[in-house]
Amino acid sequence: MNANVKKRLSDNMMWLVLIALIIVMSIGNSNFFTIANFRTLLTSESVKGVMAFGVAFCILTKGIDLSIGASAGLIACVTGALVQPLDYASKILTGVQLPAIVAILIALAMGCAIGAIQGAIIAYTKMPAFIATLGGQLICRAAAKVFTTRPVSNLSDGYRFLGNGQIGPIPVIVVVFVIVCLLAAFILGQTRFGKSLYAIGGNDQAARVAGINVERNLVLTYVWCGVLAALAGVLLAGRAGSADPATSGLNYELDAIAAATVGGTSHTGGICRISGVLCGILILGVINNGLVLLGVNDNYTNIIKGIIIVGAVALDMKKNTRKA
Amino acid sequence: MRKKLLVGILVGVMAMGTLAGCGGSDNGGGAEGDSTVANSGSGGGAEGGAVEGAEVTLIMSSRDEFLSTLEAGAQAAAKEVGIKLTSQDAQNDQARVLQYVETAKNNGNAAVIVNLVDADAAEQIVEAAGDMKVVFVNRRPSDVSLLNENVVYVGSDEMQSGGYQGQYLAEYFKEKGQTEIKYILLKGTEGLVHTEQRTESVLAALEENGITATEASAPLVADYDRATAQDMISPLITTADYDCIISNNDAMALGAIEALEAAGIDPSTIPVVGIDATVDGCQAVADGKMYMTVFQDADGQGYGACMAVVNLLEGNPINEGTDFELDDTGYISWIPFTPVDKDNVADYM
Repeated sequence: MNANVKKRLSDNMMWLVLIALIIVMSIGNSNFFTIANFRTLLTSESVKGVMAFGVAFCILTKGIDLSIGASAGLIACVTGALVQPLDYASKILTGVQLPAIVAILIALAMGCAIGAIQGAIIAYTKMPAFIATLGGQLICRAAAKVFTTRPVSNLSDGYRFLGNGQIGPIPVIVVVFVIVCLLAAFILGQTRFGKSLYAIGGNDQAARVAGINVERNLVLTYVWCGVLAALAGVLLAGRAGSADPATSGLNYELDAIAAATVGGTSHTGGICRISGVLCGILILGVINNGLVLLGVNDNYTNIIKGIIIVGAVALDMKKNTRKA
Repeated sequence: MRKKLLVGILVGVMAMGTLAGCGGSDNGGGAEGDSTVANSGSGGGAEGGAVEGAEVTLIMSSRDEFLSTLEAGAQAAAKEVGIKLTSQDAQNDQARVLQYVETAKNNGNAAVIVNLVDADAAEQIVEAAGDMKVVFVNRRPSDVSLLNENVVYVGSDEMQSGGYQGQYLAEYFKEKGQTEIKYILLKGTEGLVHTEQRTESVLAALEENGITATEASAPLVADYDRATAQDMISPLITTADYDCIISNNDAMALGAIEALEAAGIDPSTIPVVGIDATVDGCQAVADGKMYMTVFQDADGQGYGACMAVVNLLEGNPINEGTDFELDDTGYISWIPFTPVDKDNVADYM
C-alpha cells in the first residue's frame, strides 16, 4: 500500500467505524436503517452537535470549554422565561413577554458575553482553560438555579420554532445543525481567523512571531463556542418544550467534547477537521439511537461509548506520534 | 495598568465562583464558613428545650423543583415557630450530607433535617449528629430500626406512588378488556431508592390488579430529565410495540409526550403516567395528554419535618400541630400521596 492511500485511510478511519456501526445496527434491528429513524437520530443529536462544533475550536487551540452545558441551561431558562405567554399562571417573569426573535438574540448575546469573559481570562491570564471554564460551569448552573427553581415551560411557538419546527418533512433543528456545520467548516478552512487557530494550536509562540494576535483570536474562539452553546440552549428548550435549571444541558459538554475527540480533534492542539467532528457526532448518535433500538441496557450503552471514545483517542495519538 | 485591571476582574470572577460554590457545591470548609455567616448574630442555642431561636440545618440531597418546594414549606414552618433554619444543597453526594451534618453539630445546632442521598447511609448520619435531633425527610432510611425518640422520619411512602400508577393503568386496560400489556419504562437516576421503589411498586400493582405486563424495551434511564427522556424514547415511538408509557416522574413523561407529538401520534391515545404533579404535569393531565400523575406533597413534607423538629425539642408526639398520621412506632409521620387525573386535576393547579 503506498503512503498516500495509507494516509487517506488513517484520516478517514472514523468514517469506516461509522459505516461499520451502521451496518451492525441495521442487521441488529430492521427499524434502524429507515429515513424516519435517521431523522430521529439527527434531531436528537443536533443540540450536542451544535455544541461540538463550538468546543472543537477550543480544543484546536489546546483549550477546552466545560461551561457549555451549564451556560446552555442558564440561557435556555432565562430566555425561555422571556417568551412565556402573559396569561400563563405560572409565569416566571410576570408582565414580560418579548417576541421570540428578540429573546433568541438576547440568548446569543448572553452566550457571546459568557464566552468573551472566559476567553479573556484564558487568553490574558494564561489560566488553564479547564479551570476557567470549570468555574464558568459552576457559576452558570448555580445562576440558573437562583433564577428559577422550577422548569420554565409553556414557551411561545416562535421561540420553539428552531427546536421543534418543521420545513416540509425536514426538522428545523437539523437545518440549523447543518448550517452550523457548514459555517464552522467555512470559518476553519477559508478565513484568516480559522488559519490563525491552527497556527496557535500548533505552536502559539511561533504564531505570535508570525504576527498573529494570539489573545484576540483566543477570545474570539471562546465567543464562538459560547454563542453556539447559547444556540444549543435555545434548541434544547425549543425541542423539549421546557428548560429545567437543574437538569437542562447537564453533562452535555462531555458528549460534545467526546464527539469532537472521536472526530479526530487533537487535545494537543493544531488538528481539527469539521468533517471529522461531524463523523464523531454521528458515531455517538448511532450508538445512542441504535442501542436503544436493540434494547441494550443503559449501563452497557455507556460502557460501549466509553470504549469507543478511548479507542478513538488511542488511534488518534498513535497517528500523530508517527507523524512527529 | 491593563494587566492590573485584568487581575482585578479575574479575582472578582473567582470570588463570584466561590460564592456560587457556597450556595451550591462546596466542601466542608466552605460550608462551615457559609453556615457561620448564615447563623451569626444568633448567640443562643436550644438549651433547655427552648425552641424559639433554635438553630436547625436542612440538608437537601439536591436543589430540584420538588426539594425547593419542600424547602419553602420548611422555611414557612420555621418562620411560624421562630426557628433559624439554614438550608444546604448536597448535590447528590452523600459525603457532602455527612459534612453538613458535622458542620451543623460543630455550630451548635439543635437539630438537623436530612434529605438522604443514600438511604443505606443513615447510620453514619445518626452517629455524626451526636446529641442533635435528626429528622429524616422525604427519603426514608432503609434501616428503620435506627429511628427512636431522637431520630424520626417524615415523608411519603414511595411504594404508594407507583402503586397508584399501576392501579390507574390496570383500570384503564381492564375497561378495554385487555389483560396483557407492553410498556416502555422511563426510569430516573439509577441507585436512588425512590427510583427503584417507584419502578418496583408500579409493576407490582399491575400484577396485583391482574395485568400481565412485559417490557417493550430495555428500561430507558433518563435521569429524571425531560430532554434526555425525549431523546431516548424517540427511536422507539414509531418502531416499538407498546401499550403505555410509565415514567418515574412528570418531566420524563412530558419528554415522552413531546416525542409522541413529534411523531404525529396523539398522546391521548397512549396512556402516559407520571409522578410529582408538577405545574406542567398537571397542565398535561388537564389537556388530556397525560393520563394521570401522582401528587407528592413537597410543601407538606417540609412543613411536617420542621414541625417534627419542634415537637422533638419539646418532647411532643412528632405530628402534633399537623394533620399527618403517625405509624405504630410513633417515629414516622406519613405525608400522603394523592393520585391526580382529569377528574381532580383542577385542585392541583
